[in-house]
Amino acid sequence: MSLKTINAAPGFQDYLPKEYQDLLEDGPFFKQRKVSELGSFKEVIEEHPMCSGCAMTLFIRLVYLGLPSLEHTVICGTAGCGRLAISQGAVPFIYGNYGDTNAVASGLKRGLDIRFPDTPKDVVVMAGDGGLADIGFHGVMHSWFRKEKFTTIMLDNEVYGNTGGQDSGMTQKGMVMKMAPTGKKFEKMDMLGLAKTAGVAYTARIAPTNPTRVANTVRKAVLIAREVGPTFIQAYTSCNIEYAIPTPKVMDDARDVEKDRYGFVEYFSDDAKAYWEESEKERKRLRKAEKK
Amino acid sequence: MYSVADIDVEICGATKCRLCTQFCPEGNTILYDEIRGTAYVAVDRCKGCEICVGICDDLAKHHAIKMVPIDQIKEGFEISKIGFKRTLVESE
Repeated sequence: MSLKTINAAPGFQDYLPKEYQDLLEDGPFFKQRKVSELGSFKEVIEEHPMCSGCAMTLFIRLVYLGLPSLEHTVICGTAGCGRLAISQGAVPFIYGNYGDTNAVASGLKRGLDIRFPDTPKDVVVMAGDGGLADIGFHGVMHSWFRKEKFTTIMLDNEVYGNTGGQDSGMTQKGMVMKMAPTGKKFEKMDMLGLAKTAGVAYTARIAPTNPTRVANTVRKAVLIAREVGPTFIQAYTSCNIEYAIPTPKVMDDARDVEKDRYGFVEYFSDDAKAYWEESEKERKRLRKAEKK
Repeated sequence: MYSVADIDVEICGATKCRLCTQFCPEGNTILYDEIRGTAYVAVDRCKGCEICVGICDDLAKHHAIKMVPIDQIKEGFEISKIGFKRTLVESE
């Protein structure tokens, strides 16, 4: 079965919006683009109202680049800053209510597997720390316990950014915010530890200081989720408004935080490790064969 | 009045480093002209965060990007009017 999702009806292409035409001619669909190609092709993400200098926006942009097949991907999100940009991407976006992103994604993934048994369809949940660690926590945990085969990406800005700065479960202990004047009372939640306990196949913690690493990690997580089981990426995406970081210093802050407490770590389950090593070998073999 | 990033085409064209295109938080904003070998800015998309200035100055050490008030930019590239272009050479 073939369903060409990104296409224009013959004769109507000239009447489509310029952005759509650009995506058809120079877009990233049906070929894997690299970080080093950024700027040379039309990206899927259009104009959006996220704040100037937002590290979350940069991370979302790199996620789109890392997705192994954009045309066969559905993104699930929920309330929070991230959806402002994700909803402007030319990739189907399902807006779950607060708390049910991973439940929606579970149903979606199962449905897509039944409807398209021969085509791998990827489902990616991309939401904030509030949407996944606080309000969506039960949905996240149960999707992991059930070993649902999709990727969960947490855009961890360590605050409820667009409601005025309340502390979230992922805020650092003692942090004083606009709406948390006495300081956060509890430790930052250990979502990576919880993921491991719940049997997640691949977990990674990352900051957007190395674009190639971000894209590769996302690709790895989505490919492992296709074959092995749930995967989880926890990404530091600072809120320069609530944490009062001047926009030219956003990347300096990301580097400092990465060095201090948010260094890149990844964890594979035994099955995921075996699968990934095997698929890496296969890719190397194919590359060699292509060269010959 | 607000400022947007302005790339010195001569300095940038000599380096071909492309780092600013990878760190700009906005999609389709810092584009790369393959023929001239230089990055250029869609002035209608730039939100003026200056991350690219920091990347160019501190990481790449090329000092090719400056912030310029929008009304001082003559014939800035506007992606919403012109659409995506692989190169600006034809339109020059």
